[in-house]
Amino acid sequence: MFLTLQENDKRPIYQQITDGIKDLIARGELREGMTLPSVRQVAGDLGVNLNTVAVAYRQLQDEGFVTVRHGAGATISSRSPHPMDQAELYKPLRTALTQLVLSGLTGRKIVEAVREQLALLQQKGGTR
Amino acid sequence: MSAPTAFELYVLSIALLVPVVTYSLVKYQWNQPLRNGPGFFSGVEVPAGFYEGPGRSWLKGYHAMLAALYLVWVVALGAIVVSRRWDMTPWWAGGFALVFAPAMLGFQAWTRHKLGMDPPVRPVALALESRRLGDYISWPLEALMVALVGFSWWLLLRNAGAHFDWLPPLQLTWVALGLLPGKIVVVRSSSPLPTEHTEEHYQYQDAERRNWLRVWGAFGWLFVVILMAMALERAWSVSRMVPALQWLILGVALAAWGYQVFVHDRGSRQLASMARDLRPAGSWKTPFRSASRMSRPYLIWCTIWCGGTFAFILYPLCKLRF
Repeated sequence: MFLTLQENDKRPIYQQITDGIKDLIARGELREGMTLPSVRQVAGDLGVNLNTVAVAYRQLQDEGFVTVRHGAGATISSRSPHPMDQAELYKPLRTALTQLVLSGLTGRKIVEAVREQLALLQQKGGTR
Repeated sequence: MSAPTAFELYVLSIALLVPVVTYSLVKYQWNQPLRNGPGFFSGVEVPAGFYEGPGRSWLKGYHAMLAALYLVWVVALGAIVVSRRWDMTPWWAGGFALVFAPAMLGFQAWTRHKLGMDPPVRPVALALESRRLGDYISWPLEALMVALVGFSWWLLLRNAGAHFDWLPPLQLTWVALGLLPGKIVVVRSSSPLPTEHTEEHYQYQDAERRNWLRVWGAFGWLFVVILMAMALERAWSVSRMVPALQWLILGVALAAWGYQVFVHDRGSRQLASMARDLRPAGSWKTPFRSASRMSRPYLIWCTIWCGGTFAFILYPLCKLRF
């Protein structure tokens, strides 16, 4: 199972790692109980600082996606992370929709795009 | 049946090494720069049509260097045979490695300096599989190796006389036990994975890692067997009168050596076929990682282990009288 990091992505590296792992969890490729590689291994493989990966893992832990235990490494938690209220949950959706509206897309196109992205996400193991 | 003499052992070593090294030259070394296909030269990405233009002279230069190295090797062997200085055989074999390895590394560094100064930046894939040392290294076997080395030293310390030359057991111990940190580094190191043919690159890296561990394992065991033979011979003076035991030890050492050659050849063939259409490490860089082919820990270990091994080869050569 692989996570792809782009050269022209403006997000910080830790955010790309966090988002990539969340994406794999959402698609069902990373399942509960699966172990993630150690911070040292990920940092070495990517050639980034240990702290960068540690921050990504900590963020995933804080959001309830992984459990970190000394000696056992980071394992994927169940797919129900810390409960959030609806307003908080919809906040990033609202931001994304605003962006799409401002870029000139019609409501119909936006709905199509959302359906398409959702289908991609639900396509188990569809992309790497 | 008499025990094998030093002369017989030297001749046997030469008879075994010559075909293996020649096979390696013909089968792997000669076309090494082309192993990743026509898009690359010695692991550096080259433009289309390279081999119709400057690539020819690069290839000629490589072949000339290789021919010169093997010529030195053949001339040195000829000198041993003519002068009957069979005791020089280990230095002939070790000395070739001493010249060959830096020459090849130097050629690769020069190629990269001239042809691959600015490799392209590409997206990188991260494998989410854990690499645990225990999945690659057999700790009971490593413990057995350390125990046998310890036992050999215990025997030597108890039985070595005042005039015993401690350099050979030190050499053997350095080579055999010094490989363990290298194995750990090999498991922990990896090259970046490109986003195209990621699974194939991942499989190749894993096969390469396992191949090195197998070859080094067999290599280490060969030296442990020789050390044990040395210690047993010292400790059990009766063994000098039991040629069968010496033949047995020689047989075990030959089996370890034969296994190493077999494993190395099989692994090299497998890796050559896997690498054919893959992008070699070092021919591109990630947004976060330079285009190095060796990780820093591997480079540090390699420098220390090879440096120590070369020093052990050079030290007695400096004291030899010709």
